[in-house]
Amino acid sequence: MQNDDTGAGDGTARASGRTNNPLILKLESLAPLSDDDRAVLERISANPQHVERGTDLIREGDKPDGVYLILDGIACRYKLRANGARQIMAYLVPGDYCDLDVAMLKAMDHAIGTLSACQVVRIDLDTIQDLLRGHPNITHALRLATLVDEATLREWVVNLGRRSGEERIAHLMCELLLRLRAVGRTAGDGYALPITQEDLADTTGLTSVHVNRMLRGLRERGLIERSERQLQILDLPRLEALAEFKPNYLHLVGRDAA
Amino acid sequence: MNLRLQPVQVATGSEDQESQLVFHEGFLVAVLVRLSEQHDDDVGKWFLEAGFGRVDDLNAPLFADLDAAQIWIEKRLTHAG
Repeated sequence: MQNDDTGAGDGTARASGRTNNPLILKLESLAPLSDDDRAVLERISANPQHVERGTDLIREGDKPDGVYLILDGIACRYKLRANGARQIMAYLVPGDYCDLDVAMLKAMDHAIGTLSACQVVRIDLDTIQDLLRGHPNITHALRLATLVDEATLREWVVNLGRRSGEERIAHLMCELLLRLRAVGRTAGDGYALPITQEDLADTTGLTSVHVNRMLRGLRERGLIERSERQLQILDLPRLEALAEFKPNYLHLVGRDAA
Repeated sequence: MNLRLQPVQVATGSEDQESQLVFHEGFLVAVLVRLSEQHDDDVGKWFLEAGFGRVDDLNAPLFADLDAAQIWIEKRLTHAG
């Protein structure tokens, strides 16, 4: 199972059969789009910028100046405590973007930064408004995506509050597999995961020491294999059972919400 | 301040086993675990596996040796809260 670091995908047959654009794939995983819709989405996601790992796209307190769309790599929403401790509240994978209605806020209450090198597009707020006005299918899909973001956040709260360390990590791995598969960024049950143990610790409310132990334990039991930049799930049914993973909250079309 | 150490093995579910219970005035205040080879560069450092009362801290650093760990614990017992 090979996959490259750019997460360019495995050529899995997509519903549309026409695009590698993760925004289109993501929205199509939620609702049908027309050819015109797809053309508009291709246009707004053209000309991404390369952003190095560990870069803030927008900081807490900043006035929102646009919507950031991730086309490659992994970014996150996070907050810092005064002592420097970081909590990551969400991952933005290819096709994800920060809130569309963010312009209604005067200042960001959290930061968005890159966990790996990313390809990022900043979309003007005017462009977003035009998009929402003229394209009902896209508007519908974007609203569904917002609901999914909120449902995912709820699931992460359950993760942090009521799952063991091992279950938290297993759950995150199962979730990322489905989210990345929906945008064509998986190879079988594997995907690029170019983030550190510290990142995973700050995501799951654990220490880096605990994450190291959990990863080792999952590996020794034949559930996963992990290199620096790649995660391979070796036994998905067992990993899902361990995490009590139910994909219903992702509301993906074409997958049974078991 | 007098801290008393007692060697013990902790079932961390990993190769990290060598541990010390840390007592202050007869009360257990912390469990320190020595990190094993599985932690690469951090092998040999001491990890605050558990801290009780004022020593409870999710963001505690790793300690180069037991002296450093005890200094940190004493500071918490003296200054915290």
